[in-house]
Amino acid sequence: MGDDAKSAKSVEWRKSMTTSFFALLFSLIIGMILIQASGYSAIESYKAIFGVSLGTVKGFALSLSQATPIMFTGISFALAYKVRMINTGAEGQLYAGAMTAALIGAYVTGIPGIIHVPLALFCAFIVGGVIAGLVALAKIRFNANEIIMTLMLNDIIKFFTSYLANGPLKDAQSGIGQTIRIQESAQLTKLIPQTQLTSAIFLVILIAIILQLMLNKTVFGYEIKVTGFNLKAAKVAGISVARTYLITFALSGAVAALGGAVVALGVNYRFVDGFSSGYGFSGISVAALAAYSPVGAILSAFLVGVLRAGTITLNRTTRIPVEFVDVIQVLVIIFVAAPALIHSILRWLKAFRIHRRSKELGGAERC
Amino acid sequence: MLNMNLISSILASTLRSSVPLILASMGGCFSTKAGVSDLGLEGMMLAGSFFAVLGSWFSGNAWIGLFTGILFGIIISMLHAVMHITYKVNASISGMCVNLLASAITPLLLEIVFHMGGKSVAVAAFEKPDGIWIKKIPVIGPILASQNILFFITIVLVAAGWIFLYKTKIGLRMRMVGENPQAASTVGLNVNRYKYFGVAASGALAGFGGAYLSLGQMNLFVENMTSGRGYIAVVIDAFGRYNPAGVLAGSLFFGFFDSVQTMFQSVFPSQLVMMTPYVITLFVIIFVVKGGRGPAGMGKHVEL
Repeated sequence: MGDDAKSAKSVEWRKSMTTSFFALLFSLIIGMILIQASGYSAIESYKAIFGVSLGTVKGFALSLSQATPIMFTGISFALAYKVRMINTGAEGQLYAGAMTAALIGAYVTGIPGIIHVPLALFCAFIVGGVIAGLVALAKIRFNANEIIMTLMLNDIIKFFTSYLANGPLKDAQSGIGQTIRIQESAQLTKLIPQTQLTSAIFLVILIAIILQLMLNKTVFGYEIKVTGFNLKAAKVAGISVARTYLITFALSGAVAALGGAVVALGVNYRFVDGFSSGYGFSGISVAALAAYSPVGAILSAFLVGVLRAGTITLNRTTRIPVEFVDVIQVLVIIFVAAPALIHSILRWLKAFRIHRRSKELGGAERC
Repeated sequence: MLNMNLISSILASTLRSSVPLILASMGGCFSTKAGVSDLGLEGMMLAGSFFAVLGSWFSGNAWIGLFTGILFGIIISMLHAVMHITYKVNASISGMCVNLLASAITPLLLEIVFHMGGKSVAVAAFEKPDGIWIKKIPVIGPILASQNILFFITIVLVAAGWIFLYKTKIGLRMRMVGENPQAASTVGLNVNRYKYFGVAASGALAGFGGAYLSLGQMNLFVENMTSGRGYIAVVIDAFGRYNPAGVLAGSLFFGFFDSVQTMFQSVFPSQLVMMTPYVITLFVIIFVVKGGRGPAGMGKHVEL
């Protein structure tokens, strides 16, 4: 029985790995076609992207630092998806978390870093959790669609934080919309000088491991999985579905908010209006690629980080449109969402190959 | 007299802001009535508004632009249809895929085609009609005179859409597919064909709505110019109970808030004013629409 369950699990695992692999492969190939179509050499571009990101210390650090917020948003999306809820609100939760952390970091003074950093992170965590928790409540109580709610909240939070950063909380000495600089004690430690890589990467790995253990080893994790797999069974088994929804979605929002907080505390040292370059959206792609596993999200976020870092570097010297990275990310989501699509393509390719081989054979026979 | 002018200018701009919402949420009626979620409206609109500009830029003719927009609205809607209807992906996810694809591919094409950050060049757009005879109608004359031809087409489309859904055989069958695909299949209807048709109609109408934004209200494409109107249309659909007449009323309600916000931008901080339509939408979806679900067969497939 146990062996059966284990082997079923490994079959499932292998299946999702295959899906992710081909999803990434097809998306990268289509990305190449797009680059070639816009008049640049695809091979040279990919070589440059991966060469810069993986071949140099600076590029590697940039890949990791670009990946860090996406790791948070990826875990966030993956976690909510475990109960089949879709948290498209990571972007808004990210902004809320960044603003909260920046304010705690700037206006709370006279405490040592060992307390200050955790305090700022904790407050961001709570704010993100409350925002997402309210969405979950509205879903449970009024059956309102969480996708629309979180998308509306994204715009609301973005405009509201923009108002704060340009209005009452604006740094008077600055020309652009941003809050005042945070205290030394609230800054995250840089791992490599002159890069944006901070200790946040350890935090996110720790969170991923904790959540993975929670999902696999605790009763609550089991309840989450049952609720996601089979709602009816969960209800019959006496699981409080509402409570599971609420806590899982709140946790999802809280993790996304931490992603914003570490950018405020580690990269910008303040809240900057419009600082996120689609981190929330990248999280969806990252989670899909990782087959919705928190630890997997760390790895897939790194991949997206490599692409982002490569194109950022490339963008300084060439005019290759960096927007194609976003297209690759969407294609990944599409392919992962429809694994049958991948199998259809593979079948076509196989049929095409057989067709060609039989043609070749036919030609040979005629000779 | 001044107040009269003010009221008529508010009403005129309410109608202008409503048109894209009416078109998109009409589209939502079609796909929802056929039992397919309309969450992809935002992406279909965005594709429509970009490709309308592209078509107008290539041809120098706003009408050809409009048709290009509608065509690409349909094309991108087919992603939703293929994923959900053929490959049985959850409709929320396939809808979001449409939205994400449109929001990723339009900036890329903008860069490739126009080499300009964030917006396209100005292209041939729809002008306001001279409307000399319209102006002579008392009270509503000046309001209607400030609308372009697309507004009048939209009104005709709402009426036609209502008649189609409720008074024709195909409309009735489509609604049957939406209510109970299994039963519809049993009586011999090709369920998937009706669903594909519903989604294509939603793509066409949402593409039209997007084209109105880029060619009717402006004469260029701006990155992410739909700015959530497609999602608002989804809420309007639930609000109007997926009935063309209901969504017309809902669109006017949201169009009104969209149009008055521009007036308050000089009084209040612009960010707070721009925030209000989203706040209103959020409140509507939580407290007014609640679980305003569509037909009983939403998202259901025929089991073979």
